Amino acid sequence: MSAVITIARRDLMAIARSRSQLYSSMLTPLLFLVFLGNGVSEGLEPSNLPAGNFTAYLVAGTVVMTSVFSSTFATASYYRDRDSGLLRFMLSTPHNPRMLLLGKSLAALVIGTVQALVVLLAAAPFVDFEWQYGVLGGVGIAIAAVVLVNLMLTGLAQALASRIQTMQGFHLLMNLALFPLLFFSGAFFPIDDLPAWLRVLAFANPLTYAVDALELAAYASDGETFIGLSIDFAVLGGLAVLVYAFGISRTPKLTYSGA
Amino acid sequence: MSAFAIRASNLTRRYGERAALDGFSIEVPTGGVFGVLGPNGSGKSTFIAMLAAMEAPEAGTLEVLGVAPTRATLQRVGTVFQENSADPLMSAGEYLRFAGSLFSMSGAELRTRIPELLTRFGLEPRTNDAVSTLSGGMRRRLEVARALLHKPELLLLDEPTTGIDAEERAILWQALTDSAPGVTVLLATNDLPEADAVCERVAFMQDGRVLASGTPGELKKGLRRESVRIGWPTATDGELARIAYWPGAGEVTRIGDSVLVTTDDASTFVPRLFDLAPGAIRSVTIATASLEDAYFQHVRRRAEGVAK
Repeated sequence: MSAVITIARRDLMAIARSRSQLYSSMLTPLLFLVFLGNGVSEGLEPSNLPAGNFTAYLVAGTVVMTSVFSSTFATASYYRDRDSGLLRFMLSTPHNPRMLLLGKSLAALVIGTVQALVVLLAAAPFVDFEWQYGVLGGVGIAIAAVVLVNLMLTGLAQALASRIQTMQGFHLLMNLALFPLLFFSGAFFPIDDLPAWLRVLAFANPLTYAVDALELAAYASDGETFIGLSIDFAVLGGLAVLVYAFGISRTPKLTYSGA
Repeated sequence: MSAFAIRASNLTRRYGERAALDGFSIEVPTGGVFGVLGPNGSGKSTFIAMLAAMEAPEAGTLEVLGVAPTRATLQRVGTVFQENSADPLMSAGEYLRFAGSLFSMSGAELRTRIPELLTRFGLEPRTNDAVSTLSGGMRRRLEVARALLHKPELLLLDEPTTGIDAEERAILWQALTDSAPGVTVLLATNDLPEADAVCERVAFMQDGRVLASGTPGELKKGLRRESVRIGWPTATDGELARIAYWPGAGEVTRIGDSVLVTTDDASTFVPRLFDLAPGAIRSVTIATASLEDAYFQHVRRRAEGVAK
């Protein structure tokens, strides 16, 4: 287990040193909230939104979006380690390659979770959250939802990274998969008024349950328009465990020569 | 302690149609530096990958430190790869701490062992500098220091001095010799002069097989005393056949635009050469017979054996 901690600590240190990556990955969603939220609120009738204004509404989706991109970028460190030769060295140590993956994914999980929560807490003073379960309860629910989303996304990214040869290919494929998931999750617009076939897609989308849990945690009240925390966490928890276990089972496809 | 650090018998490994190892057998005695010499693509790196439990043989048997190689065996093995492994954003000290932690070294062990090795390898003043700021030679020294950190019984060096200058090589080998007394070193290289200088025993490899093995002295035995390298791009097969029959001439091998000839007496051989091909010879270099000459002799003998 010490190898897992060693590798996770090293990955976290690498991300902490890459200040441009660290700051831009948190600043981008905050700018997104300020500009897109205010712009759309001014131009549209916000009464249909559960949060009352679009900026507040976007918070849950933006937190999920931060998780999506943070955990994806953190997992891409696999390619940096492969290209620098560090991964080959790690594979020449006595540890099972799955332990090494566990360490790398743990770092990605921590980064994705912390950055998402920073965005949530940074936005909180500027929007009118209701915190129906109290601030501590709401933050606790948000943390649980964000951890599960990151676990699932890290597993997905890990599975892809272990098979896709180039970082460019990895990012293209992740974006291809993740943008539609974000669009049809209720992150940017409510899914209730979508055509039936899109609503089916939305309910098949795991991110929908994360957005729902975050909305309920921060500013919404339980009601017919929401899925409900018990279903949210059942879906997220089940998928997170399955996808993460799958991702970790995919050992790096790396030959001795590094090809 | 076993008499042999490595025993391989009839190892075979194919990548598609290409056989990287084809009936490869070798015995590496415990202690000392053993060289595996051969050109690029001869199977050296595949063999090291098997020793490092990163590849498995399709056939044959392999023992490392008395057991079949597994991940657990790697605790007793240090590996230096052809390419550097250090994260360029880490400092030299951080890289060694990271590496030592992955070999289950305690904080106290790391606090004494890291400065000791960095000092021996002349890197102590650069402990806190990012790896990206180190010169190529320093990075190679750091790699060897890293491989020795956990006090392995067997050190695998895959072309460890490729791309570094002669002075850096000397520093690296001196530091390695001082830091690893009693450690068995397996050196895979295509640098025959280097192997001649540092190896106690060597094996010549070609096409995934061992052509010959022994001490450099044993392998050079039977060679003529001197080696003449002739810059002779237009040499014909007929001319090479003629000089092979001159008195005192031994092996005649064409290497690109040059011809390598071993002879008992270069002082009589070279004037005859200029008589044979006046104006065609661009350069002549005379040296005492080397491991390189022995290698080419064995390669040629094998080629002749295959042709027959």
